[in-house]
Amino acid sequence: MSQVREPAFDRAVALVLRVGAFTCFFVMLAGLIDGLFMKGHIPLDIERTGVLLMLATPVVRVAVACFLFFREKDYKYGYVSLGVLVILLLGSVFGLGEH
Amino acid sequence: MVTVLLVVFGFFAGMLGALTGIGGGVLLTPILALHFGVPIRQAIGTSLVAVITTSAASSSVHLQRHTTDIRLGMTLELATSLGAAVMAYLVGYFNRSVLEGLFVAFLLYSSFTILRSGGKLKSDEDSAMLSVNGEIPPYEPQRYPLGLSASLVAGALSGLLGIGGGPIKVPVMFIFMNVPLMVATATSNFMIGVTAAASAIVYYRRGDIQVEIAAPLAVGVFLGSLLGARMAPRVQTKVVVYLLVAVMLYLATHLGVHLLREVL
Repeated sequence: MSQVREPAFDRAVALVLRVGAFTCFFVMLAGLIDGLFMKGHIPLDIERTGVLLMLATPVVRVAVACFLFFREKDYKYGYVSLGVLVILLLGSVFGLGEH
Repeated sequence: MVTVLLVVFGFFAGMLGALTGIGGGVLLTPILALHFGVPIRQAIGTSLVAVITTSAASSSVHLQRHTTDIRLGMTLELATSLGAAVMAYLVGYFNRSVLEGLFVAFLLYSSFTILRSGGKLKSDEDSAMLSVNGEIPPYEPQRYPLGLSASLVAGALSGLLGIGGGPIKVPVMFIFMNVPLMVATATSNFMIGVTAAASAIVYYRRGDIQVEIAAPLAVGVFLGSLLGARMAPRVQTKVVVYLLVAVMLYLATHLGVHLLREVL
């Protein structure tokens, strides 16, 4: 079962990663350029957005795969993906307040 | 000025990473700690962002070649992300010297492993890439308990040191789980993003990711790894690998001295 390749599935997941990586790159770049040339501006918010988008990209990738597995009625891997998603989201809860 | 320097350092680390196949994370953390005065824990968190960037960009390429086993990757990610998140949480309780000591040990260990194998770091990746046009032989992943345990360790190391952990996952999938090398390489790459994100989220919530450093670094790493991937076929790998080892040994020594000064 595991070695079955589904080009459409691969493409959908690849698209999420590519869009995520390029969006983050350009958002961060915009932040840098803003910081270098526009004095008195606050590029930190733009850069923060870029970093947060980067952290979110793998999460979205797992969520999309999870959705696709359930749509294919491949429940076993749907639940596996859901498990990964839960671990990722728990991290953002338990990481809190440890400054 | 610091911003430009960070882009440049990120660029070279990303390029070395792509040329040798050993992610740039190993170099980024000590460089941030030693040359930019970032405390080691924040250096780890910050370089995790660059690791995610590289993984997202490169695994989208692998996915389009249909060499990634998403089901296997997702299954092992259960273990890597758990290991990474738990370890990232525990790192909050480690003191700075312990982390620096661990990093020195890791840099020395990696350097000696590469030297002992005679600089043949990339041979695996090369043969994996050569067969890209060939058919993937049918296979069924085996020994899941072993694969999951090793993934837990790889994830924990990633959360501890801010690295991808490919050098553990690839051999485990290839040797023990009976997965073709090409698939193991692509799948490991695929898993790195989620693994790094699992720990990076914890680091971020703790305030251990310095955004003003992470952004220029990630921009540099992104560009450097794109260029490195293009240059890879035309570059004498062995020279680059020895260059990498030299940089790692320099960083290990420097970090070791830094650590001793702190402790004594």
